[in-house]
Amino acid sequence: MRLRRALMKILVPIKRVVDPYAKVRSLPDGSGMDTTGLKFEINPFDEIAVEEAVRLKEKDPSIEIVAVSIGGAECEEQLRKGLAMGADRAILVETNDPLDSTVVAAELAALANELKPDMILMGKQATDDDNNQAGQMLAAKLNWPQATFAAKVERGDGIVRVTRETDTGDETLELPLPCLVTTDLRLNEPRYIALPGIIKARSKPLEKRPRMTSAAPKTRIVRMEAPAARQAGRKVGSVDELYVALKDRGAL
Amino acid sequence: MESALAQPAAARETGCGFFSRTPESIFTPEDFRGDDALMIEAANDFSRKEVLPVAERLDHQEDDLMPSLIRKAGELGFCGIDSPEAYGGLGLGKNLAARILEFLSLNASFSVTVGVTSGISQVGLSWFGTDEQKAKYLPRLTSGEWMGAYALSEPNSGSDALSASTRADKRGDKYILNGTKMWISNAKWAEFFLVMAKVDGERFSAFIVERDFPGVEIAREEHKMGLKGSSTARVLLENCEVPVENLLYEEGKGHQVALNALNLGRFKLSSMSIGPLRSSIELAARYSLERKQFGEPISNFGLIRKKLALMATMIWASESMIYRTGAMIDGAFAEWGGPVEGNKKAAEEYSVECSMCKVFSTEAESLGIDEALQCYGGYGFTEEFPIARNYRDARVSRIYEGTNEINRVFIGSRLARKISEGKASGESANDSFVAELAGRALLSVPKDQVGLGALSDLLMFQYAEQSARLRARQGGLHKALYGRFVDWVNPRAAEAYQAIVSEAVSLPAPSGVGVDEIAEAVLAKRLP
Repeated sequence: MRLRRALMKILVPIKRVVDPYAKVRSLPDGSGMDTTGLKFEINPFDEIAVEEAVRLKEKDPSIEIVAVSIGGAECEEQLRKGLAMGADRAILVETNDPLDSTVVAAELAALANELKPDMILMGKQATDDDNNQAGQMLAAKLNWPQATFAAKVERGDGIVRVTRETDTGDETLELPLPCLVTTDLRLNEPRYIALPGIIKARSKPLEKRPRMTSAAPKTRIVRMEAPAARQAGRKVGSVDELYVALKDRGAL
Repeated sequence: MESALAQPAAARETGCGFFSRTPESIFTPEDFRGDDALMIEAANDFSRKEVLPVAERLDHQEDDLMPSLIRKAGELGFCGIDSPEAYGGLGLGKNLAARILEFLSLNASFSVTVGVTSGISQVGLSWFGTDEQKAKYLPRLTSGEWMGAYALSEPNSGSDALSASTRADKRGDKYILNGTKMWISNAKWAEFFLVMAKVDGERFSAFIVERDFPGVEIAREEHKMGLKGSSTARVLLENCEVPVENLLYEEGKGHQVALNALNLGRFKLSSMSIGPLRSSIELAARYSLERKQFGEPISNFGLIRKKLALMATMIWASESMIYRTGAMIDGAFAEWGGPVEGNKKAAEEYSVECSMCKVFSTEAESLGIDEALQCYGGYGFTEEFPIARNYRDARVSRIYEGTNEINRVFIGSRLARKISEGKASGESANDSFVAELAGRALLSVPKDQVGLGALSDLLMFQYAEQSARLRARQGGLHKALYGRFVDWVNPRAAEAYQAIVSEAVSLPAPSGVGVDEIAEAVLAKRLP
């Protein structure tokens, strides 16, 4: 294997989200979600990003992986998990401010300007708000090339090759560094964290720092409510019956 | 983030101390935070992604499936959690190891396999082995390269373990072992056996026997009712040649190795019993939400909700006892552990609590899984649904690692002995209905097994209720769970009391906590 002189740095933003399989309910006043007793996880798409970064590092140990999260002190749990999976160090931008994609992109851009990573690898969206825009906004702010919904990531000489699954077939993009890649579900299957990895992570640095920008959210949550209960469906015996039923409802 | 530390010696309760004093606070499962929580989560993840999906295939003992899972578990550190770091273990506490094991135990066949190789086959070696013995064998076990087994029972000596007839005769630089060991978990796959035998037919001793030693034969698999994915077989020793350096500890002191390992084994089995109950309540909750009768999901019906609430309550109460006990065990090892004498002292100190945890949680497991199956109606009685497997698997928990009967004989008599020897106070804590009954019952310790068993029940209920009460101080759902638990335990305590002291007891008023709050939490996956 050819030795690379330039140390590559990958920044992996991690969002703390409520367990995507939990049954959530909104608070009675509609101001947010009731999270009491619920588990929190790394956003599954971000976990895939960490895994991909670790796989790249396994091929090239000179890579440095920096995991970053923005939010309350509790986000340390998810960063610890990222470190246990194989990230080298972690940064927690500690804040209790309301965050939307704009603020997240602004903070991450400030951080990227300071840390100068060669690549930002992050989830295409978070499972809690499904916004799918922080990555794109961040790439625009940095004026970096971006590849979204990555199903395959390969490193070349000074470039990254990203395969995206589109409706019309696989699309492969080549991006010069530095660049931003957002991950899709099929990119990889994250590893199990090993107990020795968790112990090893104890000695990895985790830096807490305040926000770097004063960016304000451009959206605010007005109300959260449970979706209206769906009417029960019914089984039809045949295609003919289905046809009649659909016609009755004016669907055909 | 700091790992949950063992309690300092000064604050630690003494063995059987619960009877006369309610401590200020206890360790609760909520105290597993930070890295500890991450490790527990890792175990949970492994169980759900690697073990549960192949449960059916495990039951058919598909070639190399279980051994490959154990090797994977070993790579992740699950085969040597609480074994010494110097020998490839992680050197973590027994309490955390037990909690991790609980989540590795969602499938019972995998549970017993990993539990035996990581636990009872290793602890004797860790506590009593020489440096050479530990260096030779522990790293292979902690890495998952080898599986281990523990061989005490024989065809004619079960609960009466020390009456074993397997003998060892010294011939030059070898012991020659002859006899049959029965019910040996992991026998099919194990390379390492901790075997108990009597030197010259008299001195009970422990030996390290490798599978490849001349004279070791593994009989066919037992045809079991449950735990079909685990291996259980007889180990036949016929002029088996064991090098003298493989005597563990000293001739005539094998009972200390065997019984101390069993104390810890009972503690660990408690969490291993809660794992399958945990997966069963989830199955029952999911099924109840999907199954519709009379036009609505059966999870809307009171009697189904009552079952879900009962299961959650029993898991919660069991956990409250188990992890309180584990923290005390860790404290004892922190204070005394290391030298053999200290290890013995630490392993013995909470033997009564270990037995109470074992009896309580294995019976909680049986009761809870029975109710989970009931939620399935007729479908629960078929092998089409996984709950039938859990039901069959759970049955043995009350039998092995000391039957619940032998544990019931032990609990009451050992506590009484501790009091008579001045090692524990005989004055009751008297701060709850159950504690008062236990105090009154202990005034005259029953001599017969039936009475003694009832006394043990009462003491166990006191320990459970006290642990639950202390945990409930966190408020929220804990308070509701405590209310449901007292309503369950008080009449049972009264019944036990009446079996000892033939007099009428009137019950305190019920807590007034209904089933809905807990059932809702179960259905929304906020519990357990």
